[in-house]
Amino acid sequence: MVRIGPLIFLGGLAAAMVLLVATGRLATMGHAAMPAADPPLASGSRTAAADRDCLTCHGDPTLSMTLGSGETISLYVDRDVYGRSVHGDKLNCNDCHVRNQTYPHSPLEVYSARDFARAEYELCKRCHFENYTRTLDSVHYEQMAAGNSAAPVCTDCHTAHEVKRLEESRTQIAKTCAECHGQIYGEYVESVHGSALEAEDNPDVPVCITCHGVHDIHSATTASFRLGSLDLCSECHTNKELMDRYGISSNVLKTYLDDFHGKTAGFYQKQSSELWVQTPVCIDCHGVHDIRAVDDPNSRVIKENLLTTCRQCHPDASTNFPSAWLSHYEPSLKKAPLVYLVREYYRFLIPVMIGGLLMHITLDLWRLARNR
Amino acid sequence: MRSLETVVEIKRTAPAEEHVVRFSVSQRFEHFLTMMCFLVLLLTGLPQKFDEASLSVWIVNSLGGIDNVRFLHRVFACVFIFGSVYHLGAVGLSLLRGRFRPTMVPTLRDFVDALAMLRYSVGLSSEKPAFDRYDYRQKFEYWGIVYGGVIMIVTGLTLWFPTYLTRLLPGEIVPAAKEMHSGEALLALLVIVTWHLYSVMLSPTHFPGDWSIFTGRISREKMIEEHPLEYARLTAVGLPEGPAENEAPGAEDNRRERV
Repeated sequence: MVRIGPLIFLGGLAAAMVLLVATGRLATMGHAAMPAADPPLASGSRTAAADRDCLTCHGDPTLSMTLGSGETISLYVDRDVYGRSVHGDKLNCNDCHVRNQTYPHSPLEVYSARDFARAEYELCKRCHFENYTRTLDSVHYEQMAAGNSAAPVCTDCHTAHEVKRLEESRTQIAKTCAECHGQIYGEYVESVHGSALEAEDNPDVPVCITCHGVHDIHSATTASFRLGSLDLCSECHTNKELMDRYGISSNVLKTYLDDFHGKTAGFYQKQSSELWVQTPVCIDCHGVHDIRAVDDPNSRVIKENLLTTCRQCHPDASTNFPSAWLSHYEPSLKKAPLVYLVREYYRFLIPVMIGGLLMHITLDLWRLARNR
Repeated sequence: MRSLETVVEIKRTAPAEEHVVRFSVSQRFEHFLTMMCFLVLLLTGLPQKFDEASLSVWIVNSLGGIDNVRFLHRVFACVFIFGSVYHLGAVGLSLLRGRFRPTMVPTLRDFVDALAMLRYSVGLSSEKPAFDRYDYRQKFEYWGIVYGGVIMIVTGLTLWFPTYLTRLLPGEIVPAAKEMHSGEALLALLVIVTWHLYSVMLSPTHFPGDWSIFTGRISREKMIEEHPLEYARLTAVGLPEGPAENEAPGAEDNRRERV
């Protein structure tokens, strides 16, 4: 009896654990299965036959309708184009166009094409719920909530019927954003990053979403974005392997943080991300979308232009002033020998001086000890 | 020339608990000012040098951010500059009034004393050298502060107003000034921690502290022990009638105490 007690206890414990694990699994399985249980998608993979009826009418390139706003929109769907899209082998027309499952279709209660897009885009969330919720945190959703009808919805970036995997084409990403942000795109394609993307589809340069994110794109004019931009830039620019490929220093963050400006920004970062840092961060000298290579004559940080850049904050700066900044170099005998020598002087003097004083103290104590 | 016999004689006959005024109110004020500046400037300066340390971040955040820290640093830098000007003024005034005595000026005697002290410490001599108003260690520290203070003020102003000096000098002096400001600060801190705190507090002869710079007074016994030559001069030579060229800055107080 003495031994059975613990056994029962252990057995019970094991059973409880098995039960816990099992229910846990069931719970996660249930969660994963949830989207599949959504009725409109129960059909699973696409069947050409199911769409045949739709294409009887919508296969006609001339099919169109006029909306209340006076806009005429095409109702034609190119089945080949759709077939090549990511949904081509997965979704039937009615999986998305649930309102049009019956014919004749119920009358459309929207005024314009834009209203239609805005009314229908939430259909995407039935499958892409995670990305949909991300957009709720975005600056685009903020705009939409504020009543801006131009604020982009899913189909504005992804299209309705030609949906491609955007990450497969980085140039396409930039062009997609450019549809609304044309001026910024114009600056970007001229920049060291954008020109490399356009010219050679360079896989290393950042495209819009590298810095701004994808669905949860935050405002880039907030204090936290400004302060965080240091980390955005340094994510690539402290990567030695990556920077070596282009012969660029990967020591730029350290040298910045060691300098007066960088120390300020560093302390701001450690205090709160919500503080507007007045001191210059990367973008204030190098530019934002229009960052040029440091040997580009249009670069803001090239020697000829540096004084103008400094004068943004130091209006009374003289021509000597820009060399107060060591251009991300560590002081050495070649670069900034004066700074280097001062550093070495104290590196030598401090231990010698303190060592000497400690020795004096030791001698003094030694004598006092013998005096007792 | 005061011989050692005189000193011994004084020591034997001196009453035990009497005090002598060693520092004037003005000198005590100067020390207090320097000390406060030193503490605040270190508190607000070192976190900027060692910005990675979590203690630095804590100090900066506790003071309300780096901008507040820099503001405080500059306020106390101004106080320090005022203290330095005050000191120069005090020295200048005593020169004008003909009361200046170069008690802080290093002489050959200091080097002899340092050697004698070394001989005494290692046991080659059984007699400590007899010191005047300031011994060689105190002179070393005083001139260290003068030298360091000048460096800190000049480099600090360069950092505060970087566009002014670079109108004439190359821009590189700004980062060089920063390097110097930071190196000299660390040196000053370490000297104060190891040397000054030992000399006036931690050393067994003074523990837990020689407070004469705050009270202005030193016991007659201690005066005889540490500054026998000055004591001998003040007593054996007798008090001058008027302001003579031989008088120490603190001599007026000395007289008051003795009356």
